[in-house]
Formats: sequence, C-alpha cells, structure tokens
Amino acid sequence: MSHLDKILLLVYILTTLPLAAFLIYKIYYLRQLQPKFDSVKKSLDDMDEQAKLIVRTDIELNKIQEALDKKITGLYALQRLSRIISMTLEEDQIFKRIQPEYLDDLGLEKGCGFLWDEQNKQFALRFSLGYTDAEIKAIQTFINNSQRQCLDFIINDKTLSSVSGVNDLIGAQQLNTIFKVISFIISPLLPQQNNRGLIFFGTQNPETVVTEGDEELIKILATQLGQALENARLFEKTWRAQQELEKKVTARTRELTVALEEVKKISDRKTNFVSSVSHELRTPLTSIKGYAAILLTGKLGDLPKDVRERLEKINRHSDELVHMVNELLDISRIESGKVAMRAEICDLKEIAAKAEDLLSGQLKERKLYLNSELAQGANLVLADRTQIERVFINLISNAMKFTPAQGKITIASRKTDKMIQTDVSDTGCGIPEEAQEPIFEEFFRVDNNINQEVKGTGLGLTLVKHIIEAHGGKIWVKSKIGFGATFSFTLPAAG
Amino acid sequence: MTLYLKAFIIPNMQAGIGVSTAQDHIKAAREAVAKARRDLNGKDIKFAFVFSTEGFCHSLVLEAITDSIGPLALLGASSKAIISNQGILKEGIAVILFALAENTYFNTACVKDISAKTTLSAGEELGERLLYGCKNVRRNLSVIFSNADADYSSNFINGLQERLGRSFPLVGASIVGHQESCLYFGAEILHNAACGILWGGKLNFNLGIEHGWQPLGKPRYVTRSQGDIVNEIDGAPAVNLYKEYFAKEIPELKKELKRLSVFYPLGMLISEKKEYLLRSVVSILDDGSLAFRGEVPQGSSIRLMISSKEACLESASNAARTALKNIGGAKIKFALVFSSLSRNILLGRQAAQEIRLIQDILGKDVPLAGIYTSAEEAPLNSINYLGKTYFHNNSIAVLTITD
Repeated sequence: MSHLDKILLLVYILTTLPLAAFLIYKIYYLRQLQPKFDSVKKSLDDMDEQAKLIVRTDIELNKIQEALDKKITGLYALQRLSRIISMTLEEDQIFKRIQPEYLDDLGLEKGCGFLWDEQNKQFALRFSLGYTDAEIKAIQTFINNSQRQCLDFIINDKTLSSVSGVNDLIGAQQLNTIFKVISFIISPLLPQQNNRGLIFFGTQNPETVVTEGDEELIKILATQLGQALENARLFEKTWRAQQELEKKVTARTRELTVALEEVKKISDRKTNFVSSVSHELRTPLTSIKGYAAILLTGKLGDLPKDVRERLEKINRHSDELVHMVNELLDISRIESGKVAMRAEICDLKEIAAKAEDLLSGQLKERKLYLNSELAQGANLVLADRTQIERVFINLISNAMKFTPAQGKITIASRKTDKMIQTDVSDTGCGIPEEAQEPIFEEFFRVDNNINQEVKGTGLGLTLVKHIIEAHGGKIWVKSKIGFGATFSFTLPAAG
Repeated sequence: MTLYLKAFIIPNMQAGIGVSTAQDHIKAAREAVAKARRDLNGKDIKFAFVFSTEGFCHSLVLEAITDSIGPLALLGASSKAIISNQGILKEGIAVILFALAENTYFNTACVKDISAKTTLSAGEELGERLLYGCKNVRRNLSVIFSNADADYSSNFINGLQERLGRSFPLVGASIVGHQESCLYFGAEILHNAACGILWGGKLNFNLGIEHGWQPLGKPRYVTRSQGDIVNEIDGAPAVNLYKEYFAKEIPELKKELKRLSVFYPLGMLISEKKEYLLRSVVSILDDGSLAFRGEVPQGSSIRLMISSKEACLESASNAARTALKNIGGAKIKFALVFSSLSRNILLGRQAAQEIRLIQDILGKDVPLAGIYTSAEEAPLNSINYLGKTYFHNNSIAVLTITD
C-alpha cells in the first residue's frame, strides 16, 4: 500500500464514519419509532374496522329510511288521490282524476281499470295510464277472454300482487307479459255490486318492485274508489228521482192552478149570482113589506083579527128576509172587494158601549150581564168604525142567543205584537169542537136545541169573518160543550 | 364534417324564466316561452337555455319554441327532473331567455358522435369550435352539456381546456345513462354529443360547488388504474374495498350497486386543494375492477365517503353562499343549478329542500333553473374560479350571473 493509498483510505474512513454513524443512529431511531408506528397503524386499522361497522349500520338505516320514505310518499299520494276522487260525483271524473303523478309517487308507472258492463256482458275500460292504445286494447281483450276468472277474483274480494299469491288468479308470469310489467298489484272494485270491476297497477322498473306495503295502499285505494263510485251512483239515482219528483210536482201544481182558477171563477160567479139575486129580491120584498104596512094601517078598511095577525107575520118575515138579503149583499160586496174599509182610529170601549146600549133592552129582557173589560192601552184600533160596530153587535147578539138567563157575557182585549185581540166570551151552552171551524161558513148552523128554537140567517158569523179579514185580522172560536164559548178576533193596533 | 358555429354581439343583459307543467308538450313549451318573454319586457332575445324532463317529445318542444320566438341560439338538456323557482319538477319544461349586455359576447357550438372519437379529441373539437369568433375577446366562462357515455370522461374536460385554457372556468352537466335524455342545440336534438356556450366580454359570475360527503376509514391507494377503471387498490382487486366494508360478496354488491354508488362513493384527495373529489361506482367488472364515472389516476389516495341528508343539505347551502361571495351589491340576474341525481336519491322526500335552501340564500325572486345530472364539471376550489376544472360526482353546482 502506497502512502497515497493510506491517505486515501484514511480520508475514506473519516468521511464514511459519520455516515455510518448517522445510519446506525437512524436505524436505532426507526427501531425506537417502530412501536409508535405500529400503534398508529393499529389505530388506523381499528378506525377502519369502526368505519366498517358505521357503513354497515348506515346502509341498513338508509334502507329503512328509503322504505319509510316510500311508504310516506305513497300515503301522501293516496291521501291526495282519495280526496280528489271523493270530490266528484261523476263516475267518469273519478277515473279521470287518477293522474300519472299519483302513480309516480306510489312508485308505479302503469295502471288501468275495468268495470263489468252487465248489459253487454263484458269488461269496459275506465282508465289507462302508461299504456299505448294498442297495449291497452290487448289487455282488455285478455281481460274479456278471462271473464270467468276475473269475475271470480272480484267476487272473492282479495287484493293480489306479485309478492302475494297471484298464482291464485292466472299466473304472475302471464300477467307480467300481458300487462308489460315486472311486478304488479291487482285489486277488485265493488265486489258486492253488479257493476263491479278491477284495478291494476304495476311497474317495469326493477328498482321499484311492489312490496306488501304497496299492496296495502292499492287495497285502500280500491276501497276509496269503490266508495266514490257508490256515492256517484247513489247521487245519480237520487238526482234522477228528484228530477222525476220535480216533474210530478210541476204537473200537479199546473193541475192545481187550473183547478184553483176554476174554483175562483165559480166563486166569483156565485158571488155575482148572490149579489144579483139579493138585489132582485129586495125590490119585490120592499113592495110586499110596503103593501102589508099599508094594509096594517087600516087606511084601506078595517081588517079582521085573523087577517091582521097574518099580515103582521108577513111584515115580520119580510123584515127577516130583508135582513138576510142585506147580509148576503154585504158578504158578497166584501168578498168581491167592492166595499172599502175606511180605516180610522177607533176606541173599542166606545164601540162596545154603543153595542151594549143598543142591546141593553134585550140583555135586560133575557137577564144577562154584559161585562166590558177592555184594557186601557189595548183599546185603540185602526178600523172601519161602522163595520166593527156590526162585528160587536153580531158577536154579542150571538152570545146572548146561546146564553141562558143569569148568564154572563164578557168583552176583553189585549195587545199582541202589532194587533189588538178582542175576546167575546159567554157562559152559554158551548160549541162542539167539530163545529168550531165551519161555524164561520155561510148558512152553517150548529145542530142544537137552541138553534132549532131560535131563528137565524146563518150569515152573521160569515159576515163578521169577512169584515175582520178585510181589516187584515183573524177570527176564531174556542169552546167546550157546557162551558161557554170565546170568540176572539184581531185588528191592527192604532199607533 | 358540419360545423355548428354562431357568433353574436348583444346590446342588453337580462334573463327571463318561464316554467310549465302542461301535459300538452307544445302548450307547455309555448307557455314557458310566453312567461319568460314577459320577464324580458320586450327586450331583444339572443339566447336561450331549455331544460325539460325526459318524457317530453323533444322535437315538438323545439318546434314550439322556434315557432314562438324564431330561430335562436339555444342550448339545453333533458333529464329525469328539472330545477326551477317552483322547486323540482318531475314533469315540466323551463325556458330561460337571455338578452345580454352590449359588450357581452357569446358563441355556441356542439360536437357530435363522441363515442367514435377519443374523449380528448372530442373535448378539443368542442373547445376549438367555441373559440370561433371569440379569439380576440376576453373569455369569461363556458357552460357545457354532454350526454355521451364515453370512457375517460375526464379527458373531455382536458381536451376542452387544451383549447380554452388550463385555468379557464368551465361549468358543465353530464346527463348519461338515460336513454330518453337528450341535448338541445339550436333546432337540433342531440344524442352521444356535447354542446356548450362560451361567454366573452363583460360577464360577472360566481360559482359554488359542494358535495357534502365526508371521508371514513383509513386512506388507501390506487395501485393500478386506467382512466375510469380502477383495477387494484392497495395491491388487491378494487372490489375488495367494498367487499370488506359491507361484508358482502360480489353478486350482492352488484345487486346493491345503485345504493353503494349513491351513498358510498370514493373520495379522491386532490392534494393541492385539500378537497375530496367524489367518484361513484358505475359497475363491477368480472376481474374485480371497479368502473367509475370519471377518471381515477393511478397512485391516487382514496377513501370511502359517507354522507347524511343534513350534510347534503348543508353543502347545498354552502354552494349557494359561495356563489354569492364577492358580488357586493350586484343583483343576481340568473342562477343556474346542476345537482347530481345521486343527491336527489339520497335526500329522498327532502330533495326539494335543497332547492329551497339555495333560494333562501340567493333570494326567492332570483330566476333560477337547472337540471339533475349524472356528473358535474366545475373547478374544484370554487372561490378561485381560475383553477383547473374537474369532473365531479354527487355534487351540486350553483352558478350566479350578476350585473
């Protein structure tokens, strides 16, 4: 080894020594770090294992969430669909309202519905979604070729799907091919009705195959559709019945109107007849009464007693006949509206007093008491004084006629709303209930002993009724046999 | 190859929105246009966004719109549900008409038949076309719609940004996996395509994007992947991750794939942003690899992600708050919302709450429209919108355009 070589070797050793020392130190350091490195690696592996647990749990949660979301969306769609189909009462509209958006929310793409046409003995298409005309025609042909199975399926009232026993019907595979889907639900409509049917919903999307939850939703939809259809049919039936009824009511109203017109004509004719006859009767009656009066004066010579008696009878009966004719004339005038009521403020107390004064002789003769209890504040009416005087005289006379001696007649009044009600009560024999309404009719006379003895025209109460009604009031009677009678009438209150 | 290019100079800026749920599709389109026009008070309409649900007859919709307002630069898409001021509509159409400010420019373009191209070249092609007529103006923002179910979907953004600029803000919606979905572009209905609008000149906007998922378990590494396919995680078949976490075998996992995709995506840590970019599983391959919606680069640090309804709703509020930042007193003219269909599934019955929360923050009277997506495109850190645009899953993007 030369000197130079030795020097070079020394230089080499001197330069590589630090490097070797550094390497040794590095190796020593890395060995020291190894446990830490192993620890970090283990932590990462642990973290990774935890991550695996997280993702496995997460994927399961996502699946559950998806199923839940699908169900909620389906329920919302069903709720909206149910509401919209229940809002119409037209059968066609019910099916038209099943729109693709609802199917989409239910996770389905295709749907159709058929109703059995009893008259033509075949299933008629009511709605179709997601099918071409040719496709739906082929489906309808298939349905009608399988009528027996379809009707049995409807009557069995069981919803079927690709996830539950569809083989009971025809076979899932065949239905998939015919209806161009990979999974489906088929549900009966109105199984208990003649006009029954079925609905079909399906999908050809492998990611949204139907589930048992979907089957439940479609079953509910079928029930809702059935109810909507029933409502529509019921409404149709009710509507038709109402139309029929309305026609009948219109026809009957027309008949009644014609009849009423006829009655009015007859009534007018009767009124005119009575009026004419009364007028015609008054002239000869006046002559008869006149001549009888002349004869009774004796100016034409003395009359034998028998003749005088007969003449007096003629005179008296003529008076009664004139009275009757006058009342008839008054009634017919009021009926025909020829007599205008001259309304003025009248004091019922004054009218009652005047009537009492007029009838005082007869009251005394028959030993009857007339008690006027017309209340202050319920005594002023708006009426035709002369006519109301007639009402009072008629009613008091009537009461006197049927009240035995020592009996009592009371006149009372009270204010009701805007009317004054006057009651004329007696302690007489009373009026049977069945006669209380017809008593106001012309020539009606209650069948009792008094009426057989006491004469009357049978027109007094009729005239009273006409006068009261011409004032816008009402008249009625309340009575019980043996307990007297109360005639009540109303007149407009003054002020 | 036909080019689909138009360039316009627009005098005024205003947005009018019309929504209709009429079952007659022609009537619905006309109704929506009429309502949107009313909001514009007779201003000159230059551009329209159209969003509709999948069941619509799209050709009739376009015809009805064209009949109502004449030929128009129009962009849009159809999806399972649309978003509007009225909430989430499972059946309906939203039309947003724009009259832009005098010094605002825009260009619309589309690229068709994407599956016959590489996604990168399709992105570059769309970027190139969008630039037409806007090369010499300040470019602000691009909104993209796509419905091509292509591999390397993230590459589409890369291609676009190759042409528009690496930090150019892009906001996009991918609607794939639904046969009935389509894109609207002018008078055309597009499938397997992408279309977009490029705004230039004066345009003030803000963007918020959030997802609301949190990491769970230990970090793992993608040891082998190719584009959207992850073959191995920590040296084992990628599917083992899900097998371990859920204690299920592959057939069971396949059965529950949709749930796993929605609830438990993977979170990819974007180191410089300190944010997790989500990737939803699209399918489990026979060799145990996992196909994702969006690229998962080899070497990525990933974690299983988990969320809750509350966290998801909170993230929507956060996105709206971010979209409201720095606007001062400026009035929001229009808000565009792209929300992932996964969020709709996770939120279930509370899905509408997400939109209500955004409205609460932006204001109930702000015209708002959008669409449910299968993937979203936006910068990761939305506060700094000049950042690179990423391909998102399970996120909600709120774009506000202000005075």
